[in-house]
Amino acid sequence: MTDPILKATGITRIYPGGTVANDGVNLTVRPGEVHAVVGENGAGKSTLMKVLFGLEKPDAGSLTVNGQKVDFTGPKDAIEAGIGMVFQHFSLVPSFSVYENVVLGSEPAKGISFDRAKAIATVRELSQKFRLTVDPLPAVRRLPVGQQQRVEILKALYRDAQILILDEPTAVLAPQEVEELFTAIRALTAQGRTVIFIAHKLPEVLEISDRITVMRGGKTVGEVETKDVDESSLAAMMVGREVSLRVDRAATTGERALEVKNLRLVAGNGVTLADDLTLNVHHGEILGLVGVEGNGQAELLEAIAGLRPVAGGSLTLQGTPLDELTVLERRDRGLASIPEDRIAQGLATGASVAENLAATRLDDPRFVRRGILNLKGIRDNAVALIDRFSIRVGGPDVDVGTLSGGNMQKVVVARELSEQPQILLVNQPTRGVDLGATQFIWKSITDARDGGAAVLLSSADLQELLALSDRLVVFYRGRIVAAFVNHAELTSETLGAYMLGIETQTPEAMAGAMR
Amino acid sequence: MSSIRPASALTEVTRVLLAVAIALAVAFLIVLATSEEPIKAFRTFLTAPFSSNRTRGLWIDDVAKLTLTGLAFSLVFQARQFALGVQGQVYVGGLAASFIALSPIGVTPLSIPLGMLVAMCAGSVWGFIPGYAKARFGASEIVSSLMLNYIAIRVVNWVIRAHLAPPGSGQLNSPDFPDASVLPAIIQGTRFDLGIVVALVMTGLVWFVLYRTVWGLKLRLVGHNPTFAEGAGIRANVVMISTMTVSGAIGGLLGAVYVQGRAFGRIAIDFDGNLAFEGILIAIVAKSRPLAVPVVALAYGYLRQGAQLMGLRTDVPTEILGVVQALIILLVASSFTLPGRAFIARLMGRKPEVAR
Ligand SMILES: Nc1ncnc2c1ncn2[C@@H]1O[C@H](COP(=O)(O)OP(=O)(O)OP(=O)(O)O)[C@@H](O)[C@H]1O
Ligand SMILES: [Mg+2]
Repeated sequence: MTDPILKATGITRIYPGGTVANDGVNLTVRPGEVHAVVGENGAGKSTLMKVLFGLEKPDAGSLTVNGQKVDFTGPKDAIEAGIGMVFQHFSLVPSFSVYENVVLGSEPAKGISFDRAKAIATVRELSQKFRLTVDPLPAVRRLPVGQQQRVEILKALYRDAQILILDEPTAVLAPQEVEELFTAIRALTAQGRTVIFIAHKLPEVLEISDRITVMRGGKTVGEVETKDVDESSLAAMMVGREVSLRVDRAATTGERALEVKNLRLVAGNGVTLADDLTLNVHHGEILGLVGVEGNGQAELLEAIAGLRPVAGGSLTLQGTPLDELTVLERRDRGLASIPEDRIAQGLATGASVAENLAATRLDDPRFVRRGILNLKGIRDNAVALIDRFSIRVGGPDVDVGTLSGGNMQKVVVARELSEQPQILLVNQPTRGVDLGATQFIWKSITDARDGGAAVLLSSADLQELLALSDRLVVFYRGRIVAAFVNHAELTSETLGAYMLGIETQTPEAMAGAMR
Repeated sequence: MSSIRPASALTEVTRVLLAVAIALAVAFLIVLATSEEPIKAFRTFLTAPFSSNRTRGLWIDDVAKLTLTGLAFSLVFQARQFALGVQGQVYVGGLAASFIALSPIGVTPLSIPLGMLVAMCAGSVWGFIPGYAKARFGASEIVSSLMLNYIAIRVVNWVIRAHLAPPGSGQLNSPDFPDASVLPAIIQGTRFDLGIVVALVMTGLVWFVLYRTVWGLKLRLVGHNPTFAEGAGIRANVVMISTMTVSGAIGGLLGAVYVQGRAFGRIAIDFDGNLAFEGILIAIVAKSRPLAVPVVALAYGYLRQGAQLMGLRTDVPTEILGVVQALIILLVASSFTLPGRAFIARLMGRKPEVAR
């Protein structure tokens, strides 16, 4: 057995406010391996990683790197010790080019001036060596998320990271990009680097990792060889009980709730985002919107929510043309929306959990009377929802921005589903969410459906779409190219072929699934 | 944030105090290097404002005004709008209150409240314009509010010179207001007048509006995340415009407090002495929290008076205040951490980190 390259012993970290995020955690990482850290939302994974990277100071415990005891006062020390970290929310300068971002902070110099040519060459070389294909020249802001992530990884490698920490790297990636990331990770370990990898999707963990450390409630509950476990035994270790991700199909489908007819959506710069979209959604059904991100699904949801103007065609909600209604009026008619990006669209970080939970219902007499806030009503509502949706949080007055990713998502879900919606828009509901919470959120969505909601669901996770949808429509280049009634034989491979435009469906077949 | 954890509030306060200490140390070094009598100069700087009833009055008068401008800025900053129009609002508000004071109403007890009301209306119009321009045409509120400042100062100064100053006198101010139009003194013979009461009442009012009304909650939500607010059904533009308008009203009120105050009791050209802008510093240091604004104003007003008195009584120019000001803003806004904190933490066995 090789000596560990990194060893954390008895790490304890208590946040101001009293949350014990890490409680005597142990982690042993061997050189050249991919070591996965798994656990439920709020288990303390990110906190542990921040300790390893010198961002959080442990209140107790010790760290050794290559057998040497270290005591980091900041990320600088960790970088010096050969540790690099990629956060889920990137820290790139959007207006800078790729190579500038990579070298920022330790630029190669020629005399006293910045040696651009050398920087570009180094970045090229690194990206070839580790199979992280990205053009060094364009500004980072113009790159898709997957490429931005590569820039982050290159940035760490440029600083000669021997141990690379990736905190939920796959949560923001499309399935194809996940494969590319895995190729890069394999190239890294083949060249002797070590990778610490956090993810919630167990198939991904099983595919890429060599060993797995499981955390629960701030403690390490086990360390296993990947070859010794399978999905269900790992899930049981994480959650402490058996988890089943099976959901029931809709029993009956009701009246038509939402009609979309020949809808056309255009971006601010005149580019057509979606055209000729026609579909109906009924009360009591889940309609899955399938497609590679950026093919018009998210834009359709935004248009229904009232956050994007309609350039042509019509949207009709229970007989009323939607375009006459403000966002608030739509919400008053029972529209609820779980947006794609919880931090950018779903929450006001900086405001408290209670305020976030009341924000969409500021005309409710429980919360506001004659313009004055009813603080007790707002608090009581939060306490009840925290309990009902088992949100892990210190209390209703806590800043929502300090919650772990999965718990933030639960706040959004709790708010949108606290009352039975008529129309429910859902985009990436379980991104970065653990197994138990995924099960819970899926159940909440199907409960809303059974309560009569017409649900539109978009997700990058085809398994999720297949598990939840009653019918599916496939988007390709802003148009609907195929439609299916969900059945047991429908596979992600079939959907994938339509998503990439490889297969096309006859108009008759499509019409058959377009109630 | 409706709730501040004690721990973070405490570090916040230490940070600010440290920033002030650093700024003062630098100021002292400069005084040391430039003055013939550095110790006397620095003692004047630090003690003069408290030395007599008269100087205490000067100080409190500044505190009242700094509080009002700090509140006006805090409000727009909380909505994450960078409107810098308080100065212009002070001018139009001051002019409006002067019209009342110099009209026949000026000799009646109605003059003061009515003057304030009219000043607030004038200020709110001045605040509304950049908000509307931003919502309607996407005009940057920074640029348009600064432009409106410029216009207000020019126009008001011209009106004073050409219409309010006694004809042919060559004076640059209006005649004195009738007694009924001047704020009553709280301590006779000083500038310690009703202005401070107005400022404190306004502080309570702004706090209440921000944290206890639905409008205030909407304002804060828009400030935290406008995209989210829109999705939640809050009309961000309406909130933005109304915030700038209300902030404008506070700016206008400050104008009335200026001209009605015992320091003036009339309107003169360039009457605000650029104090209106210092509300930016107050709001930044107070983290835009209304209840912190008067406290910061109290401390900063003291330094400000100290610098002024030092300028009058010693060979050190008042401009030293600019250095202190700039350093405080820089240190507070750049969220610096205490140097050597890690070292101290290690010395103390990391106790400060767990302190809750
Ligand atoms: N800055 C902070 N201040 C206070 N509490 C925090 C802070 N950051 C995290 N916490 C709390 O510490 C606990 C662990 O959080 P952490 O982010 O480490 O979880 P995680 O395992 O990464 O979860 P997720 O899978 O949802 O990302 C949570 O209860 C969280 O609310
Ligand atoms: Mg995390």
